[in-house]
Amino acid sequence: MSSKVFVALRVKASPERAFTAFVEEIGAWWRPNGLFQTTPRAPGVLAFEPGEGGRLIETLQNGKIFEIGRIVAWEPPARLVFSWRQANFPPDLMTEVEVSFAAVGEETRVSVEHRGFDQVPEGAARHGFPDETLLMRLAEWWQRLLTSYRDTSA
Amino acid sequence: MSGLRSAVFYQDPKAALAWLEKAFGFELVMLLEDAEGNVAHSQMEFGDSYVMIGQEWSADHKSPKSVGGKNTQTVHIQIDTDLDDHFARAKAAGAVIDAEPQMQFYGDKTYRCRDPEGHIWTVSQTVQAVSREDAEAASGLKITGWR
Repeated sequence: MSSKVFVALRVKASPERAFTAFVEEIGAWWRPNGLFQTTPRAPGVLAFEPGEGGRLIETLQNGKIFEIGRIVAWEPPARLVFSWRQANFPPDLMTEVEVSFAAVGEETRVSVEHRGFDQVPEGAARHGFPDETLLMRLAEWWQRLLTSYRDTSA
Repeated sequence: MSGLRSAVFYQDPKAALAWLEKAFGFELVMLLEDAEGNVAHSQMEFGDSYVMIGQEWSADHKSPKSVGGKNTQTVHIQIDTDLDDHFARAKAAGAVIDAEPQMQFYGDKTYRCRDPEGHIWTVSQTVQAVSREDAEAASGLKITGWR
């Protein structure tokens, strides 16, 4: 098994709109976090390449592209799974993010599950945190990300 | 945000997360699991507040199931509408009913139940406004700070 961080909130939109806002407008709602730097450079702009096998990329300010992960499951409007890898991860480490969109009346419950972050070893990506602290910081960041997504895009 | 939140301990917190959603409509908003699948932390939201559901993480943090059904505090659920529906849903989910829905002198309709590990939950809906004088007359209590 792997560790799991789960956060969820509701947005006032259909699952179709919520899914579209998540994948097409990630460049607008994404909020970088110094604890979870994707690259050592200044944060860039994120974008998904739609469809299974598509990339989640970050275009840095110097124009270079960093691949954060690949889309493993593309099932609009219900589910999206992609891999997540920071530049400061060891080469063989990959974590996984699953996003679900479930209709609740007129709203949509959007949930994010980030798996495997406990495997991040001592070093630049862990900041000396024990597992529970690291996972809590990750959960808090995803809560802020989802809040931004809700208020900006969905 | 300032406020009060309760942490509620279970032998099987994952089962509790599922049951509390089914019985009371609480919504899971945060869950941290370690690599063995143990619940490290969780939050379930209801209205504008949340409870934390966790495991028995020390010798002094116990589920009622581990201490002969004893409770040292209860969590109260205040709802705006449809107390009878709430009661029916909880009962259907297997809540043990300690007190059926009934009117209280202070104008609320309430019921009381136990979850599968024996935590007592009280549920209340205000259905009529009662003045302090009427509440004192009905209860025989001297009441300070009525609102």
